[in-house]
Amino acid sequence: MKNTYLHNPGYLKIDLMLKGIRVDGRVLKKAGFDKCRDLIDIACGLDIILPYSTWVTVPYIEDFAQESPYELIERDGRFFIFDGSGSVDVSVVATPEFYKLKTSTGIPLSNIGLVHGGYITITPATQCDFFNKNIECRYCAGNLDIQGGKGRVYTVDEVLETVGAAYKEGKAEIVYLSIGFSDTSDGGIEFLKPYITAIKRNFNTLIAIEALPPKENRWVDESYAVGADSVLYNLEIFDEKLFKEICPGRDKLIGRERYLEALRYAATIFPNGTVASHLIVGLEPVESTMAGIDFFTKIGVVPILPVYRPRVEAKLTQYRILSTEEVAPVYGHLYNAVAANSINTNWVRDISIVTTPLEGRFFVGDEARMKTFKQNFYKTRLGLKAAWALATLRRKLRVSTSSKDI
Amino acid sequence: MNVEIDRRPIWIIVISKGLRPLFFLGLGLLFLYLINLPTPEGLTIQGQRAISLFVVCMILWVTGMLPLAITSLFAIVTVPLLGILDRKETYALFGNEAVFFILGAFIIAGAVMHSGLSSRIALAIMNRFGSTQTGLLASIYLLAASLSFFMSEHAVAAMLFPIVLEIAKGLNLRPGKSSYGKALFLSLAWGCVIGGVATFLGGARVPLAVGMLKEATGVNIDFFEYMVVVFPTVLILLLIGYLGVTKFFPSEIEDMHLAKMLFDRKMKEIGKIAYMEYSVGIVMAITIFFWMFFGAWLGIANIAIVSVVGLFVLKLVRWKDIEEYVNWGIILMYGGAITLGTAMERSGAAAWIANTVISDWASSPYAIIAVFSLLTILLTEGMSNAAVIAILLPVGIGMAGKFNIEPKIITYAIAVPAGLAFCFPMSTPANAIAVSSGYVTTRDMAKAGAVMMLLAWIVFNLVARFYWPMVGIKV
Repeated sequence: MKNTYLHNPGYLKIDLMLKGIRVDGRVLKKAGFDKCRDLIDIACGLDIILPYSTWVTVPYIEDFAQESPYELIERDGRFFIFDGSGSVDVSVVATPEFYKLKTSTGIPLSNIGLVHGGYITITPATQCDFFNKNIECRYCAGNLDIQGGKGRVYTVDEVLETVGAAYKEGKAEIVYLSIGFSDTSDGGIEFLKPYITAIKRNFNTLIAIEALPPKENRWVDESYAVGADSVLYNLEIFDEKLFKEICPGRDKLIGRERYLEALRYAATIFPNGTVASHLIVGLEPVESTMAGIDFFTKIGVVPILPVYRPRVEAKLTQYRILSTEEVAPVYGHLYNAVAANSINTNWVRDISIVTTPLEGRFFVGDEARMKTFKQNFYKTRLGLKAAWALATLRRKLRVSTSSKDI
Repeated sequence: MNVEIDRRPIWIIVISKGLRPLFFLGLGLLFLYLINLPTPEGLTIQGQRAISLFVVCMILWVTGMLPLAITSLFAIVTVPLLGILDRKETYALFGNEAVFFILGAFIIAGAVMHSGLSSRIALAIMNRFGSTQTGLLASIYLLAASLSFFMSEHAVAAMLFPIVLEIAKGLNLRPGKSSYGKALFLSLAWGCVIGGVATFLGGARVPLAVGMLKEATGVNIDFFEYMVVVFPTVLILLLIGYLGVTKFFPSEIEDMHLAKMLFDRKMKEIGKIAYMEYSVGIVMAITIFFWMFFGAWLGIANIAIVSVVGLFVLKLVRWKDIEEYVNWGIILMYGGAITLGTAMERSGAAAWIANTVISDWASSPYAIIAVFSLLTILLTEGMSNAAVIAILLPVGIGMAGKFNIEPKIITYAIAVPAGLAFCFPMSTPANAIAVSSGYVTTRDMAKAGAVMMLLAWIVFNLVARFYWPMVGIKV
């Protein structure tokens, strides 16, 4: 009998991410799915919800997807993934309606924010100074040239309009703000500050930020104080030598040690389970990724493990794509390490472009009922409000501003 | 404004935050309890209320649960509400001469700093004497002290800090490690602290004490008289302080050419002396002359305010230039302290406390000076020096009446030690500024400061015993 992953959402998610899926236009239309905005977008793909609320973004438009064993089919309004031997019932996430809208300044909202899982991801300035210095991360396909001005800087009002539209449609629960490298000591938090402040003032929501480690720890404090509920400083590669080779900008202008130090410090400031760092699976030996998982979880940082897949226009294309069988143990290890270090898994959830730590349970055969119950609660309307209220209360209790008072 | 993240376990934070409302509830209940106790014999009902209010304000000043100025405002509104003094009288006390003197002094010091004159003087002196390590240390120390004779010691510390920091960096001294680095910043702090008690201008606490004395007893201390009485203490402490700094933190460096280069560069940057600096300097000099020789006749506050008007008439300064130098919080705080002190005095509460509570502590005038100066010098290490005066002076003046001591003497015994805070960064902004450099640690300061504090107390009492009678202060 043919080996199938259809009944294990963890394996299936990775296999789909690596192999893609075949789907014809008629099915896409029935699912209400429009093509993604840009092929070089790291998150370009078809958003599918597998059993056990396992979100996945599946490549479907690239050439390799046409060779995939998986096919998305539709029967009587229901969607199934068929692998030749059987099928599994899934949901396809329709393209949000707000993608068709424009800001009052005429920018399509889909240019500003994209929904993935429960997150609306926004990069107010799609620029990264590494590209100007020719030291960009070699897997990156962005060409985010500051001087070239490829992407404009979206205003706070434009971002607010986008978040407002996404929330009105009920398409997101958490705002994810990110910024590329700029040569400042604050790691980009000063730039993001007005966006965070404005979003917090207008919406009762949680905010995650993806930034570069600041040169001084006080900026980590500042990030938390202004309203960031979660922070990601993405090291990407744990192996020292490979980090230098693959991420020359991060190595030269920030340094691996500073990444580790900033993450270690941030884990003492932010709530348990809200400080995270990407380690790309497939760009270094799995043993090295596992060592990174052990290191991060010991200091209270959640490792997030995207699987490497060469993007169109990226410079790094020589790497062999790992098989699902090769990467599966890494995710099992992730689940065990996170559990052993009592790291909260509620925050990193419903991410369609990576396998979350809790999804690692599918690789070790643990049902993790209590954890999934808690995670499911935090996805309810009441749970979302409770999470926001607790995060706000925590900030209120922990943050103080000092000025000389007589 | 700095962001601080409390990293303690959340349950400890919750408990500590919950203590704040409990604290105020408890304080309110204490106030009600005190005010409703049977009035003791010899005390009027107004006196009892004044003491109750005094206890509440004292707790707030000591704990710092409210900004000092807000506690003072609370005192001002509560005095007439409790019927201790009437409204008109209470608010009139806020127009005390000391308050306006402080306001004028802030503005004049602001003008001097804004013109750049103070920085020029500092650089010129350091350039002249800073070619050796002892010369540089002594010039910073004496400069801080002498500038604090004429302007707020806090302002002097803030003004000299960037220059001293640049010197330390220029000499490649290692923060927290270099003995000479520690000596430089301790010299800055101690110079300001010791110099700050020399005249009315080093800090607002002396005018506050003098204002409280005048309101309570009608007795005045003028600018010159104060200097004559206090100067020997200052000179001896300056000598001891310098010896202490060099003994605790001997220099490990010899080559000073880097510092010299820095001074040369800085002097070139500021260029030649400008008209504005000349003019402000002349106004300042005239003002000090009048304070010294005509202060008793014309009134020091009048002289200060006339000088301020003069600065504006001559267009030497604009309001927005000096606004940042005027510490309105201090002014509010002093108004409140004077009001409360007067309420204690006029209601008979201060005399009652002196007669019934503190009279057992001391049996002779010298013992009273020793006790009050010791209490003051200890308290001022942990709390605002103005708050120490506001708490101790009303009681001290009451004690003076019981022992037939001149109330001036008690005022000196409290006002001078209140400025001598050597041990901790929280004791006074000059210390905090020194520690903020990273060169001197809290531990260094506490170690050397404890010795200095003890010596300062001994010197003050010896001067009181042997020198004061020579200048007509009979104890």
